[in-house]
Amino acid sequence: MTEISESAPASLAGVQSGQRLRLLLKSRSGVAGLILVGLLAILCVLAAFGLLPYDPLAQAPQQRLLPPSAAHWFGTDQFGRDVFSRVAAGVASSALIAVVAVAFATVVGTLAGVSAGFFRGVSDAVVSGVTNVLFAFPPLLLALSLASVFDRNWFTIAVAIAIVYVPIFIRVTRGPVLSLREIDFVRAAVSSGQRRAAIMFRHVLPNITSILIVQVTLSLSWAVLTEASLSFLGLGTPPPAPSLGSMIYEARTLVYIAPWTMVAPGVIVVLFVVGLNLLGDGLRDSLDPRNRGRK
Amino acid sequence: MNLVRAVASHRVLRPVISALGTLLGVAVFVFVMLRAIPGNQITAGLGTEAAALTPAQQAALEAYYGLDKPLVTQFFNWLGNIFTGNLGFSSRAQQSVLELTAQSLPVTLELAVFSIVLALLIGIPLGMLSASRPDSPRDAFGQAVGLMGLSIPSFLLATALLAILSATVRFNPNGQAFAYFSEDPLLNLQQMLLPSLVLGFGIAAPIMRTTRTAVLEVRGQDFIRTARAKGVGPRRLQVRHVLKNALVPIVTMTGLQFGYLLGGAVVVEQIFSLPGIGRQVLLGIQQKEYALVQSTVLLIALAFVVVNLLTDLLYRIIDPRVRAE
Amino acid sequence: MIAGRRARRGTAVAVGLSLAGALVLSGCAPAATSTGSAAPSGAAGAGGTLVVGVTSEPDTLFPWKATQFQAVNVLQNIYGTLTEFDKDLNVVPGLAESWDTSSDGLTLTLHLRKGVTFDDGSAFDSADVKFSLDKIKEEATAAVAAASLASVKSVDATDPETVTVHLSAPDAGLLANLGVVNMAMLSSDDTEAALNTTPNGTGPFTLKERKANQSLSLVRNDAYWGDKTKLDGVEFRVIPDESSIVSAMQSGNVQFAVFDDPLVAQTAAAAGLAVAKTPQLSYHVLQLNARKGPLTDVNVRLAMQCAIDRQQVLDTAAAGEGEITGPITSPAFRSDPNSRPCPTRDLTKAAEYLAKAGKPDGVTIKTIVSQGEYSTSVNEAQNLKAQLAEAKITLDLDVLESGAYVDRWIGADFEAAVALNGGRPDPDGAYSRYFTSTGNLNKVAGYSSPELDKLFAEGRQTSDLAKRKEIYTQISNNLEDNAVWIWMFTSYTYTATTSNVTGFTPMANSSLQYLRETAIG
Repeated sequence: MTEISESAPASLAGVQSGQRLRLLLKSRSGVAGLILVGLLAILCVLAAFGLLPYDPLAQAPQQRLLPPSAAHWFGTDQFGRDVFSRVAAGVASSALIAVVAVAFATVVGTLAGVSAGFFRGVSDAVVSGVTNVLFAFPPLLLALSLASVFDRNWFTIAVAIAIVYVPIFIRVTRGPVLSLREIDFVRAAVSSGQRRAAIMFRHVLPNITSILIVQVTLSLSWAVLTEASLSFLGLGTPPPAPSLGSMIYEARTLVYIAPWTMVAPGVIVVLFVVGLNLLGDGLRDSLDPRNRGRK
Repeated sequence: MNLVRAVASHRVLRPVISALGTLLGVAVFVFVMLRAIPGNQITAGLGTEAAALTPAQQAALEAYYGLDKPLVTQFFNWLGNIFTGNLGFSSRAQQSVLELTAQSLPVTLELAVFSIVLALLIGIPLGMLSASRPDSPRDAFGQAVGLMGLSIPSFLLATALLAILSATVRFNPNGQAFAYFSEDPLLNLQQMLLPSLVLGFGIAAPIMRTTRTAVLEVRGQDFIRTARAKGVGPRRLQVRHVLKNALVPIVTMTGLQFGYLLGGAVVVEQIFSLPGIGRQVLLGIQQKEYALVQSTVLLIALAFVVVNLLTDLLYRIIDPRVRAE
Repeated sequence: MIAGRRARRGTAVAVGLSLAGALVLSGCAPAATSTGSAAPSGAAGAGGTLVVGVTSEPDTLFPWKATQFQAVNVLQNIYGTLTEFDKDLNVVPGLAESWDTSSDGLTLTLHLRKGVTFDDGSAFDSADVKFSLDKIKEEATAAVAAASLASVKSVDATDPETVTVHLSAPDAGLLANLGVVNMAMLSSDDTEAALNTTPNGTGPFTLKERKANQSLSLVRNDAYWGDKTKLDGVEFRVIPDESSIVSAMQSGNVQFAVFDDPLVAQTAAAAGLAVAKTPQLSYHVLQLNARKGPLTDVNVRLAMQCAIDRQQVLDTAAAGEGEITGPITSPAFRSDPNSRPCPTRDLTKAAEYLAKAGKPDGVTIKTIVSQGEYSTSVNEAQNLKAQLAEAKITLDLDVLESGAYVDRWIGADFEAAVALNGGRPDPDGAYSRYFTSTGNLNKVAGYSSPELDKLFAEGRQTSDLAKRKEIYTQISNNLEDNAVWIWMFTSYTYTATTSNVTGFTPMANSSLQYLRETAIG
């Protein structure tokens, strides 16, 4: 579920990005995660450029429900569509929604959280109020209701998921910023008369990037799961656009007669989320000073 | 102004008023959001047949469902009714929302409790296993199981389990009419078994990780080394000292998961036909029963807010560092 | 000591494991020991409770407002109507034993059945009939069948066993319209509020109990005027997920279910259940709004008609599970699907029609399609789009969630709509409300003409079956020649039962009325 990373921010400002990458590669989970996500990213690229073996939307009623073979690596579904191509397109679709959702949540959440933490006062009260309200909702129900409001397409679903995630980013960034404010060099900058915005960008943001990076990867994995759950409830991107969740949903009835229609998207969605989680773990290991000595 | 400042810095009043503000925000938000979704109870019930209604019939139905009053009136009527204990009426179920919730909330609570129990039974031992020898195959195994739990979507696991078990060993207690614990404890436990396993497996991972981290942290601390120097046996050390001190973060993490379970169990409730609160809200949204959804969501938010409030107050009283803030 | 604690812990684990094991093993017991499932008692065919798996419970128990099929299915078995349908959808006596129509067609005299009582024990008589019909017509009741009584001027309860209905114009479709559950006969002492909690009907079953979101149980009505039901009762159990219903049937907990998704039916058959396939009255259609955009020109509509291969739509969207159809699906008046300008796909003709319309480079049609209402909607839309694209006709698809779709459909806010509309046993009931200029759904239908108005009026005038068949064939041809809508196909309903269920006859109007003749074991 929503995991909020808890690493300490202050001492990381000095770590260079090259050093970070090396640390990431040293972590076993990081490498495994990178490989998995990389493989799936290749699938996304293939789907985006139409380089798939079959058109994911092309129906061929004669080739209905064929088991996996050389011609169709993952078999065909109830409409004769190639499952491998659909899964690849589904990965691309889920990835798109997850990335857009998390990007939106990161930008909005970070800006709100940092402003609230830095400027305090009214902006803090408003932001905290909104965060509390959104947090009080059960997340899946919130996403589901928001997704029902507008015409359903990948963008509105991404926005719905993003809104569920904004409070988490606000909370994750506001805390560290509150403590950073009190640190000497920030205090010095304020008293020396530097503009507030400049201080935010130059001193505060770099220190919270590592937390953000970890939170982003974790949120990506949960966004993929949420999108799949929404599709499963019939509230995701409308068909026939392939989506991993709706493929699993449609395959429910086929599990006895054509198990590959559920196994393929199921395994891929698990691998996707596992990959993102491993990547997140690896990043956390490499960025968290407490763990740096061990792995 | 002095009054506002006094309230704002008061140790108890401030969180309470903040909680009330949050609840009001939730009420407004859910009220507006529901009405933003296209359709209303008339079209949800009649579907395309609603096109055949004459204007007089339409007006009669709107009056019947309370949709004819201005929005602001509807809002304050609903909110006002809540204070008198009237959470609204579901014309579909012909029961008050309070009655419906009294029937469905215990189901979800029971599911949540069992899921957490199972998650703890899976997560804590795995976490301790992993922590006993970090970076060993044991550790990798524990972490892998946790990772699986985190990554397998609950609906996938639920569907697969149900399909396989009913086809092969004909185990499907959820195919029978739902039995409350008070009616038929044995059947009830059977019906809760698979859903709690699915949900528990999902939340075992964070618990496992928290256990592992906490145990590792505690083990490195001085008083443990002192105890070991004094000759306390490893097993006793593990349970008595390490686990006890690691309990605080574990409990916090468990609390977090509980909140998620209240709303996130809706998919599992659907698949296993459990008449819980998640399904109640989902049905309410589908049938556009505004009062039902509003009141139920508000109740869930209330539970969440109250728990947070109590924890917050508790921390303020217990932890002197927080008090000084 | 440590050893003692270890031993205690070990015992605790052992006890826990055996408890868990017992729990799981007892769940594996065969269906016969589980509560609530079929318990064959005594002679074969006598008694038992049939468990029907449904994905949701009725949204109302008031028959005059019920349109969702879960509600209709349940209420049909609790309430009675003046006329009923047999398995071939012929009108047969119900609460009205017999009837006479005057020679000018303006007076219908109903002779009511004697000795019928409501569930609360009160007698059923003409006062109840007059009350029911009058109330249905009243707008404040918001009864969905009100428009079916448009030709009724007044109703008299001439004596306790006779009702005289005075019509403003002959209405040959009235008797069929009286047979739907929305025309249920209610007791004159009842109110909607009371009936919502405690139904009071004359049907073969009565309501025993209801658990919100869980189940609804019916029990045999021993005071029923017809043959007593073989079943002791029926439990409609809510299992929201269809594949969970199949699982429950496999494990024997549920004995009966109705599906409309051919894939679920295939799975049920593969799981060893008996699946009966029944063609339905409802029809899949691409509705055209002839009052909007490029569709105002009949040539554009004809071009669309000629550019579509209906069999292809059926094959791709519904795995071939259905039959190509014309406008009228009522069995006695069924249209000939080949009697249309383009019975098969003809792209040349389509191009000609487009040229005639002055649009040789093609047109764009804004089309709405619902998602989640029925299983094939979006796939039909996709295939139609692909086919029409080859004729330079672009379907600009708006895939809408149910609430949004209904809103736009009701407001006729579309140029084309992919829809599944309900059919009726009588063609007048099915279409007069759409295609007559005064019909209450004419706005949605998007088309009317003086010829159709005249034909529909003629169809109501006479009760002679042969004559009516002729008239409705003319109506059907008129609709097709003007490409008013693009009728595609009718699909099936799949009734799945476990092997011990006998005596059920599915009907083309998806009615479950033959539960009264069903038996278990």
